[in-house]
Amino acid sequence: MKPLRATFAIVAVLFLVVLAVSPLKDYLREWKKYQTGYNSLVAGLPQRVKPVDIGIRQVWVQKLDRVDRCVTCHLGVKEPALHAALEPYRTHPRIYHDVDDLGCTFCHEGQGAATEYRESVGNVKYWDRPILPRAYLEASCAKCHRENDVPGAPVLNLGRKLIRESNCAGCHRLEAYQKQWIPALDGIGEKVNRTWLVAWLKHPKAYAPSTKMPDFLLSDEEAGTLADFLLSFRTFPREAVLDPLPAALTSPGDAQKAKLVELGATKFREARCISCHPINGKGGYVAPELGKIASKVGEQWLYNYVKQPKRLQPGVLMPRYRFSPEELAGVVAYMESEFVDYDMEKPAPHTPDPGFYEKGRALFKKYSCGGCHGLPGMARAEETGPDLSAIGAKKLYEIDFGRSGIEQTLPSYLKTKLLTPHVFGESMKMPQFGFREDEAEAIAVALLGNTGDRIPPDLIVPATPQSAFAPQGEFGKLVDDLACLGCHVMNGRGRLVATDLSLEAGQARRTWIEGYFKIPYSLRPVLTERMPNLFLSDGEIKTLVDYMETSFIADTLEHAVPSDPTAAAIGRGLYYERYGCQSCHQIGAKGGYVGPPLDKLAVRLTPGWIFHWLKNPQGLKPGTIEPNNNLSDAEADALAAFLLSLK
Amino acid sequence: MRETFRAITRSQAWRSVFRHGLPLSNRTRAEAVFYNFFLHVHPAKVRRRSLKFTYTWGLGGLSAGLFIVLVASGALLMLYYRPSVQQAYGDMKDLQFVVSSGQFLRNMHRWAAHAMVAMVFLHMLRVFYTGSYRPPKEFNWVIGVVLFVFTVLLSYTGYLLPWDQLAYWGISVGTNMARSVPFGLGERISFLLLGGNIVGENALVRFYVLHCFVLPVAAMVLMGIHFWRVRKDGGV
Repeated sequence: MKPLRATFAIVAVLFLVVLAVSPLKDYLREWKKYQTGYNSLVAGLPQRVKPVDIGIRQVWVQKLDRVDRCVTCHLGVKEPALHAALEPYRTHPRIYHDVDDLGCTFCHEGQGAATEYRESVGNVKYWDRPILPRAYLEASCAKCHRENDVPGAPVLNLGRKLIRESNCAGCHRLEAYQKQWIPALDGIGEKVNRTWLVAWLKHPKAYAPSTKMPDFLLSDEEAGTLADFLLSFRTFPREAVLDPLPAALTSPGDAQKAKLVELGATKFREARCISCHPINGKGGYVAPELGKIASKVGEQWLYNYVKQPKRLQPGVLMPRYRFSPEELAGVVAYMESEFVDYDMEKPAPHTPDPGFYEKGRALFKKYSCGGCHGLPGMARAEETGPDLSAIGAKKLYEIDFGRSGIEQTLPSYLKTKLLTPHVFGESMKMPQFGFREDEAEAIAVALLGNTGDRIPPDLIVPATPQSAFAPQGEFGKLVDDLACLGCHVMNGRGRLVATDLSLEAGQARRTWIEGYFKIPYSLRPVLTERMPNLFLSDGEIKTLVDYMETSFIADTLEHAVPSDPTAAAIGRGLYYERYGCQSCHQIGAKGGYVGPPLDKLAVRLTPGWIFHWLKNPQGLKPGTIEPNNNLSDAEADALAAFLLSLK
Repeated sequence: MRETFRAITRSQAWRSVFRHGLPLSNRTRAEAVFYNFFLHVHPAKVRRRSLKFTYTWGLGGLSAGLFIVLVASGALLMLYYRPSVQQAYGDMKDLQFVVSSGQFLRNMHRWAAHAMVAMVFLHMLRVFYTGSYRPPKEFNWVIGVVLFVFTVLLSYTGYLLPWDQLAYWGISVGTNMARSVPFGLGERISFLLLGGNIVGENALVRFYVLHCFVLPVAAMVLMGIHFWRVRKDGGV
């Protein structure tokens, strides 16, 4: 009986100890330490900050069905006096949202219900959405913000831009992204030579570092077969055929050729091709590299393309220049003589493998080339890659990290996948885009925002509506032919490389616009993207300006500026003394370089525009750095009168 | 001291509870057993060899003890837990992070439940090997088997209540197994258990009621009969 009693006694004591551990653990909870720490911190501050009562604190966000207890330890979130304190007490950086309104985990992710550091960060078993690393925080903005430019979220905006430009939606299901214009491959057999095509398919960026075409890491054999397959497509859309080269280009004498090249060089410069096309990396960014174009495309194709770009590639945003037949031949001759890749091997005769068509077609399908490029007789590939519309909620156990050896988190997976898609397995079909590290991070941010969470409708900032503006009639034809929307925006349509023309006629005088088409000098000559000279006829210019005068105006811009010399004199005082405009603008070659010179302002701008611009520059051009000086009407009138007197 | 003790035992209040005198004679000793609710299940006589610890290993008593632990900790958990799809998981997280000793309560309930299943099973094994199911105790063996089934069912119904992925799929698998009962009964059983065709709000409430009321009460009634029979048959 004795040993049994002893056992009973020992077990009883053991149970008592076990029972005592729990209240003890309760008493020594982690957050209590932080709260007493906070109270002693604020007691030592020069400012008066209220200490907190010890106890769990939480933010309950009813509309999001969330309870966040982060504020149990992050006690200084709303206390400006703690902006320099160490975490967890530091003030929250200024953002547009209030912690009481949205809570913490809606943006930061992590486990809001937790009251322990490790659990709240959420890198624990059974918690699928751990806290977002700082570099990826803007992902959460995307949950509600569907608009084009999210204020204060540069990384997200960059990521979305890259997703659009890289045409991720060509292969992946991605809501809110549309397929970009990418040249269809009709007639490619008449356009490029095989040597170039094989090299291009193997390493696109070796030819044009700025190209959006990714590297599919093809083998020599694959690239050769695919090239043979592609080169068998020799017909152009809508049964267009290449015009023969003019005699000036086929059999010129040496002297004649030199003259032709010289004329072409002049016209090439006047047309400002480099506003859009980079040449060996220098120049614009919206169009393809031209530095070695003569070794890429055939002369006949080049001649036909410059003559009528949209005939060979419908939808391309290249203007049809109004070159005379001689000028056109000159430009082509100049490009043929100047933009040659001297390192490229001479195209050798080549007989394709007998099964090249079937094999090439299989490769075209395997690598989902049709996700981006149209090809006659091939259906556009629909979303051959994984669905990315809820990638931000992907669970860790669903991801195969392979032998990559990277940190096992969703952000690091996405970033690594974008940088080096093939580290997760040899069979991965995703090509290498050659993103920089910050670009990969930005894209990962934009993707992580696709959580598929249900968001209350009143929180959603809807996508910027697509403008349905489509000019009709003669003006519409010209806008299409000249690809104006490739650089300009009109009533919300177009790509903003140059200026928004929606109020152009309210801003600039008719005579000035007409003159500008003839000699498009730049207001700021340092810019690369300057207006090209399209060599328009007077009739075409009249059509364009007539339309602008009726459509690109606003009644609100009407304003009569006094023309008496006293007003101008007051304005001069305001210009030089009161507001010091000369620190940024030049008059008579004196003043700063930040803004455009104002000498001949009266020739260019309408009085109404000047007045309203002075009153509220951002109202007319959001984001301009011209300061809003809160001028009174009288001051704006006087200043406008002064500027208009400078003729 | 002795005077005080005597005064207490002679008081009206004391004598209304303990109607017999101090167990000094055989008669009063027998009365003490007969009139006491807790002692009356004891057998009139016990064989010496069945008192040996290594004969029973105390497994039945341990099972009963764990049942008491489970009832006590379960009652406390019921104070914080609400069987609704919206709140169940959050309530569990609150128990973990906010309620004083909440995590301890959950763990105690969970481990005691696991231990009880093991103990009841071992108890059955012991009864089998000592041949204690033989007449006249065959009916009590049957009750014991039913109690074992109740223990397992209690364990299973409790599985759904945290309303996490493990619970959801555990119950999905379980009710799908019930679905394969032949003669068209499977669908009906599954429907009855879930209160519908999917694991949802109705299933949660049903499992909650089964877990916290129906099964424990039924188990307690059967345990009463079980213990009574054990004692009357000369066991401990």
